[in-house]
Amino acid sequence: MRDLAARLTALDPDAGAALRVIAYFDRLTEGRAGLEAIVRGAAVLAGCPARLSDDHRRLHLRVHPDGTDATAAPADPAWMSAPVGDGSVLWLERPGPPGPVDAMILERAAGAARTVLDRTRIHPAALLDLVLDADAPEPSRLQAAARLGLTANSRVRAAALPGGKAHLMTETDPPLDPQARAGIGPAGPIAALPASYAEARTALRFTAEGTGRDPGPRVVHAEDLGGLALPAAVAEPVPDVQALTRVAATAPWALATLDAVAEAPSLRAAATALRVHHSTLQERLSHIDHVLGWDFRTPHGRLRLQLALALRRLTRSA
Amino acid sequence: MTTPIGPPPPFDPELAAALDVIGAHLPSSVTADMIQPMREGALTAVAGEPDLTRGGTFTVTRRAVPGPAGDPDVELLILTPHDADHPLPGIYHIHGGGMIVGDSTTGVDVLQDWATEVPSVIVSVEYRLAPEHPHPAPVEDCYAGLEWTAKHAAELGIDPSRLIVAGASAGGGLTAAVALLARDRGGPALAGQLLLCPMLDDRNDTPSTLQMAGRGVWDRTANDTGWTALLGPARGGPDVSPYAAPARATDLSGLPPAFIDVGSAETFRDEDVAYATRIWQAGGQAELHVWPGGFHGFDLLVPQAAISREARAARLRWLRRLLGA
Repeated sequence: MRDLAARLTALDPDAGAALRVIAYFDRLTEGRAGLEAIVRGAAVLAGCPARLSDDHRRLHLRVHPDGTDATAAPADPAWMSAPVGDGSVLWLERPGPPGPVDAMILERAAGAARTVLDRTRIHPAALLDLVLDADAPEPSRLQAAARLGLTANSRVRAAALPGGKAHLMTETDPPLDPQARAGIGPAGPIAALPASYAEARTALRFTAEGTGRDPGPRVVHAEDLGGLALPAAVAEPVPDVQALTRVAATAPWALATLDAVAEAPSLRAAATALRVHHSTLQERLSHIDHVLGWDFRTPHGRLRLQLALALRRLTRSA
Repeated sequence: MTTPIGPPPPFDPELAAALDVIGAHLPSSVTADMIQPMREGALTAVAGEPDLTRGGTFTVTRRAVPGPAGDPDVELLILTPHDADHPLPGIYHIHGGGMIVGDSTTGVDVLQDWATEVPSVIVSVEYRLAPEHPHPAPVEDCYAGLEWTAKHAAELGIDPSRLIVAGASAGGGLTAAVALLARDRGGPALAGQLLLCPMLDDRNDTPSTLQMAGRGVWDRTANDTGWTALLGPARGGPDVSPYAAPARATDLSGLPPAFIDVGSAETFRDEDVAYATRIWQAGGQAELHVWPGGFHGFDLLVPQAAISREARAARLRWLRRLLGA
C-alpha cells in the first residue's frame, strides 16, 4: 500500500486500473475533499509528482507521490496535462503522451478539481472587483484577497488597463507585459487597494499609444506623476491643448516631434530619438513655431509644453 | 450511555478513496480460519524483505534472552543507529497483528523513521502468538524482554532514564500491559508509553465497536477472533486479567506518561479514549489524539494522506518533547 501506483499498474490497465482511478476521485468528490487531496491523489496513483497551476488565483500546488508538498519550478510543457477550466491546468510531471491509466488519472483528477473550484465559486474577476471596490466592507475585501492568493501582509499594487480592466501586482509577481498599456498605482497593504486602483486609473489617463499620432509613454506609474495628477480632477479645455491640436493637424510628424523635444534632455537627443538628422529637426521646429504660439526652447516654455502634452492625453482619454 | 448509537462516522475522504483501491485485499472481518493464510502473507502483500539496516544507517542484532520462568528464550531484534557514540533513548517495541500474526519486524520501519529524527535504540520483541500460545504467554514474553533490555541498557547503548515502550494495535495493548506489569512488579522505570490505536478491551462491546461492525479495518468480528485466540472462552467474562486486557485495570495511577492515538472511525476509538480519560482521572499524564475519519492503521495503509502525515508528526513532536532530542 505504500505504493498505490504499483498496485494500479499490476491491474489490467484497460479495465481494472481505470475503474479504480474513477472510484478514487469519485470518493474524493463525494467526501468534498480539497484541491490538495486531489492533486495528491493524482501523484500517488501516477507515481510521479503532480501539480495544479492557476495563475489567476496565484494557486500553485505541487505534491510528491509520498504526499509531501514541494515548491514548484515552472512546469515543463512536455509533461502530460489536462485543462481544469478557467485557466487552471493539472499536470503529471512525466513526458507524454499519456497511457490509458495516466489519461484516466488526468481526466478524473481535473474533473474533481473543477468540481472544487466550481463549488467554492472562486471566480477571479469577481474577486478582483471586490478587492478594488472602496464601497465594499473591508473584511469582504480582505477575504476576497485571500482567495486571490494574497497573504495578509502582502504589499500589492493595482494596475488599470484599457477597457476598465484591472490587474494586481505583488513584488513577486512577474512584471506586466512590456507592450501593455497601463496605469500603475502605488504599492501598499491589501486594504489600500481601492485607493491604489483609483490612482492607477488616473495614471492610465496619462498614458498614450506611443505612436506618431499619439506620442507618450505606454506605462505610467502614479507615484511618478507628482503634482501632474492634480489637473486630472479638473478636465476643462485648456487653450494650450487646442494649440497642440492645431500643430498635430499640420503634419503627421508634428506631435511626435514636440513630444520628443519635451522629453529628451537636448535637441540633439530628441533628433536621435526621432531618428532624424539634427538639421531636419531644426526645420520641423521652425515649422511648428508659427502654429504653437510660444517658445518651447526656454525652461518655462518647455514646462508649458510638457504640461500641455500631459493635459492633452488627459482630456483625450477622459 | 443514553445517547443512541448513530451510523458510523464517515471516513476521511482521502482515506476512503485509498481504501477503495486496496479494499479488495483487506477484509474488515477476520475469522479464525484466516489466521494461517494471514501468517503466510495472503493478506499482507509485502514486496521483498525489508532492508532493516536502512542502507547501513542501522546496525541489526538479534539476541536470544531469557524468557519467562520455565519458558523458552525470547528473541530481541535490536536496531542501533550506526553513528551512535553516546547513550541514546531506548524504544522497546511490541508489534501488532491482533495477537495472532506478525513478527518482530512488523511495523519497525515506523520506529526507524522516529529513530532517524530522534536518535534512539530500537528493541523489538519476538513474542509467542495466540492461539497456540494464549495469555499470559505473549505479555510475559514481552515483559521478560523489557526486563532484560532495562538491565542491559548500558550494554545496548541505551540511557536507562529514557527508556519508553511503544506498540500499535495488539502491540499497543501489550505495551499498555507491560507498563502495568512494570508498575505492579516494581520493574523497569519507564519514561513513557506510546500506544498507537491500542487493542485494550476484550469485551468488544463499546459504541465504536458496534458502529464499525463490518466496516473499515479490524472490525468487531476480527476483534472477537483476536481476543478469543488470546483468551479462549474467558473472553468478555468476569475473570480477565488487566495484563491481558488493560481496559480491565481498575487502577491507572502511577503509570508513565502516555501518548495515545486512534481514528474516529475504528473499533478501538471508545476504549482508547476511555483509557486516556481514566489515566487523567487517576492523576496521570496522557496526550490523546482522535484523528477524524481515520480507520484502524490508517497512517500505515495510506501514509501520504494529509491526516496520516499529521498523525505521524504529532507522535514525533511528543517523542521530541519527552526524550529531549
